[in-house]
Amino acid sequence: MSAHYSDKFVYHEPGLQHQFEDMGQQEESVAIGMWMFLVQEIMFFGGLFTAYLVFRSKYPMAFAAGSNHLDAFWGGLNTLVLIVSSLTMALTVYYAQKGNRNMQVILIVLTMFFGSVFLGVKAIEYTDKYNHGLIPVTGLNKKIKEDKSANHETGHEKPCWDVDHNAPVVEHANPRGDFQWKDCSLVKLAQDHNYLTSAEKIGYFSNGEIDADKFRDKVRIFFYLYFVMTGLHALHMIVGLGLMSWLLWTAAKGVYSGDYYMPVEMSGLYWHFVDIVWIFLFPLLYLLGRHFLH
Amino acid sequence: MNAQNAISTGYGGPNLNYLTNGSSLQSWLLTKDHKRIAIMYLVTVSMFFLMGGLYAATIRLELLTPASDLVESATYNKVFTQHGILMIFFFLIPSIPAILGNFLLPIMIGAKDLALPRINLLSLYFYWIGGGLALWALMQGGVDTGWTFYTPYSTTFSNSYVMAVGLGIFINGFSSILTGLNFIVTIHTMRAPGMTWFRLPLFVWAHYAVSLVMILGTPVIAITILLLAIERLAHIGIFDPAIGGDPILFQHLFWFYSHPAVYIMILPGMGVISELISNFSRKKIFGYEFIAFSSIAIAVFGFLVWGHHMFVSGQSIYAGMVFSFLTMVVAVPSAIKMFNWTATMYKGSISFDTPMLYAIGFMGLFLIGGLTGLFLGSMGLVVHLTDTYFVVAHFHYVMVGGQVIAYLGGLHYWWPKMTGKMYSEFWGKISAMLVFVGFNLTFFPQFILGYQGMPRRYASYPDEFQVLNIFSTAGASVLGVGLLMPAVYLIHSLFFGKPAGDNPWMLPGLEWRTSSPPPTENFETMPVVTWEAYEFGEESGLDLEAAKQREAMTV
Repeated sequence: MSAHYSDKFVYHEPGLQHQFEDMGQQEESVAIGMWMFLVQEIMFFGGLFTAYLVFRSKYPMAFAAGSNHLDAFWGGLNTLVLIVSSLTMALTVYYAQKGNRNMQVILIVLTMFFGSVFLGVKAIEYTDKYNHGLIPVTGLNKKIKEDKSANHETGHEKPCWDVDHNAPVVEHANPRGDFQWKDCSLVKLAQDHNYLTSAEKIGYFSNGEIDADKFRDKVRIFFYLYFVMTGLHALHMIVGLGLMSWLLWTAAKGVYSGDYYMPVEMSGLYWHFVDIVWIFLFPLLYLLGRHFLH
Repeated sequence: MNAQNAISTGYGGPNLNYLTNGSSLQSWLLTKDHKRIAIMYLVTVSMFFLMGGLYAATIRLELLTPASDLVESATYNKVFTQHGILMIFFFLIPSIPAILGNFLLPIMIGAKDLALPRINLLSLYFYWIGGGLALWALMQGGVDTGWTFYTPYSTTFSNSYVMAVGLGIFINGFSSILTGLNFIVTIHTMRAPGMTWFRLPLFVWAHYAVSLVMILGTPVIAITILLLAIERLAHIGIFDPAIGGDPILFQHLFWFYSHPAVYIMILPGMGVISELISNFSRKKIFGYEFIAFSSIAIAVFGFLVWGHHMFVSGQSIYAGMVFSFLTMVVAVPSAIKMFNWTATMYKGSISFDTPMLYAIGFMGLFLIGGLTGLFLGSMGLVVHLTDTYFVVAHFHYVMVGGQVIAYLGGLHYWWPKMTGKMYSEFWGKISAMLVFVGFNLTFFPQFILGYQGMPRRYASYPDEFQVLNIFSTAGASVLGVGLLMPAVYLIHSLFFGKPAGDNPWMLPGLEWRTSSPPPTENFETMPVVTWEAYEFGEESGLDLEAAKQREAMTV
């Protein structure tokens, strides 16, 4: 498309597209375009954060109960991993500007490594949810056959809020792979201390009694949001890894220099954005009602 | 100004314009030229407009008689749903930005192309994929939820192709986002030397405002549709009240996009009207800055009024009061535009060419559409009017009377530039007047019907309403003829039309200073702008004598 430019012109500005007059104009365009893309990403996640806000303010106890089941260690580790990956990404941009090919390659590989570690940890966590029947879609959880010998030893069941948190975890029968939640202890606690919200007073009770099934539905909303939010975030991470693979390929060829490094910087913006989303997700999902655990 | 000079760019050979520069299928499908992309949009958007129009014809035919005799109720639900979905998502939203904006915005600011041509092509493919998916779903049996997809009906009960249509709209949304993103970048970085922000044509300002809305609003409908899809697929969810979900949340998320979406539809139309009014009055536009910033103001306020769709659906009354007030506030920038257009025409040298007829029609119809919006924005009155034909009439006065008429006016206005051919002015005027008369006959009775209490979205109605419904259907026939006529004489002009010349209307804008049709690179050399927008004086290089001669010829 740029046949009318002389060869000499092309030689000096290798990445210049036909519609631009010079590199300055191209870089400014690309940068504004990327920021606008990130703005729409913020609005995209913003819809989810709104849904989170609505349901958390309606059912804080269900959210605390669900959050207590998430492992803050894994979440914290992932936060650390992502922050370090942001550092390696920022350094990649620095070395691209310097035109240092080897350091670019090393740092991109490191960034990809940390990104993969993040996804690996996510996989561990998702597997844990699968084993405990916490995936909110029926049939996607581990199916556990009913153990007929164990079930008939007592004639009556304990109320759902009477849970010994120090006892070893019991596997409940789950033949269809349903979402399962048996523990209503936080509802009882909030009821005793009189800080249930008005939505909770309707949402957790039937005929004035704590209704385990109704509470389970609210916890399921937490896990639904957890999976949608972290799932979409993980999808963005995978896209980011794809971008990194392409960067690795081009950086290894030595494309980037002080004159031409916008692809690195723009990929970096994207990477940092995905990190920042996680910085918000981590406290919102993992750190609710920690005091109830002790 | 000079066609011979403009074409000698040495690129693509001599005497080639964007239409003749490459004729293979590949040169179209893989083009990065914004003008070719706009033409491909024009063809597909027109097809969707035709399909949406056929559904509208079915609706009006069914409502000719009180009983539901042409189609049964379940089919009727699908018919009005698909009319809405096709018209809103696949015609009204992309039409002006993706066709006229795509074609003209770079030329108007003196650029070779949009800043991100490949992204532009990608947006066209998103549009095609999304539209294709929606069409496929329609062929399979369609969708019956209403274009608003209200939950829990759409997630739990509806037995139609909600998922496929939803996915189509989801994908189509990215087309919208990428177009808006491209426009913002282009307006920021691609302006020719001398083309300052306040020399931009108001069409460009309107597109800047609408791009902001596209970027900020469309992602929210994307995530909403995604949540809806997950809920429908997995039968769990946050919109189903039976398990603690909140259907009002869906409405909030949906209208957070879909109310600004009506500004996506009308703002570019207002941009077109600003061009038409000023240029066909041959007078510098009155209050340039006010019109420019009223576009931005409409875009901003447009994001703060979505709650007025939920006055009677469980939103808190205090929120309702705030939304009602803000809705009234939106009337201010809209009125600023109306007053400035009127003031521009005052003592102007008005010529009643076809585009100007559309522009004048717009002003009357948008006035009625806008003022009836105030009825619906007041919390008390809306209890009576909500979900009646009053809403339908208001919406169509703004969307058809506003957007569609502005689009047609713009299409006629720039047709000579886009194709190099002049259409028949005689048939153009006839069609413009038929559209105006037919439109009013169709939708004005619906205001009365709605006020009398006829609910929308029913295939049958009490006998008392039949007379006005017959008026409405008769008007729809006239409107249909008026809308089909341009399709005939515009296509006819492609083959038999007179060559239009580079500047058939004798206007100062940059798009009239290149050849018709423009070369692939738009301008022979980078233009340098030394004149203000809508400057009709000699210093802008405009030959007024020739303009007067042309006027004498057309009268």
